[in-house]
Amino acid sequence: MIAVALDADEAAVREWATKEPMSMPILIDKYHIVADLYGIVNVPAAVWVDENNKIVRPADSVPGSDMFRSFTNVDSEVHHNLLRKWVRTGERDLDDRQVREFQVLPNQNLQLARLHRRIAIALRDSGTDASGVTVHLARAEELAPLDWTIRRGNMPLAGVDPFGDEFFKFVGQWSQAGRPGFKLGTGRTDIK
Amino acid sequence: MTVGQIINVDGEVTMVELSEQSGEFAISNSALEQATGWSLKPEGLCREQVCVPVRNAAALSKDGQVDLGEFARLVQQNIVIDSQRKIVALGEQAQNRSASMSTLEAPDFTLPDIHGRQVSFSDYNRRKRLLLAWSSW
Repeated sequence: MIAVALDADEAAVREWATKEPMSMPILIDKYHIVADLYGIVNVPAAVWVDENNKIVRPADSVPGSDMFRSFTNVDSEVHHNLLRKWVRTGERDLDDRQVREFQVLPNQNLQLARLHRRIAIALRDSGTDASGVTVHLARAEELAPLDWTIRRGNMPLAGVDPFGDEFFKFVGQWSQAGRPGFKLGTGRTDIK
Repeated sequence: MTVGQIINVDGEVTMVELSEQSGEFAISNSALEQATGWSLKPEGLCREQVCVPVRNAAALSKDGQVDLGEFARLVQQNIVIDSQRKIVALGEQAQNRSASMSTLEAPDFTLPDIHGRQVSFSDYNRRKRLLLAWSSW
């Protein structure tokens, strides 16, 4: 198990990651490189990779518990059970064709949004240009208004309360648009 | 000449000397290689074993300076240039990213862990791996 934090706030990552002793590597991906490589558009998400370095299950929402079940409509045990089975027996629930079908491929606007976000982070880290941070975060959001790693991920960077009005405005837009994001829907109780 | 930053596709940030001509940025061939791994050679733009032919050498390179916009076009990467703040980000185009994802081969990456050590995904190869993306937000 390799945990990657899609997070530009290293202190916050350390605070979370050291709450409980954990043996897995916990990496910090402030530029969302892994999101770009693996088509990750929200967190928490998991990808399965087998012994031959092949992706055998694409990125999908996989809550660790049912804490937010009323919002996500995801029964977290479904993924846990599939994962246990794969680890123990090697049996996957998807074939290669389905893995490709359920991957979330990016469009150019998302790819450009990711670059604007990276520029904002680099400017923030060099600490010289607060207006540049704002400009590039805003541009990223214009380009990818429904991507959680951009919209929600930007909120703490922009000094916006991630559980405040802006967040609920975003959730409203996202719901209105039909909750776009991962396609697989593991454990979803509201869709078939 | 002015100092600027290039954020490469893999998230590596390099400080480089940029020369600016009407909003376009150019850098030396050695700075290009340092920042991106690509360099201009007689056979074209090359990185490791791969070379991309350069048909219009004058558009790419002038007075030993490689134009970054033209470079990105030739290697089929996205580029965002903030000329005011002297910062450039290079990234994978949607079409190429989609093609690489469709191979189902798990791409490698190297990132710092919470103790500051560099860790690669491939450090754990030849076994089943669960890649778990999370965040504090």
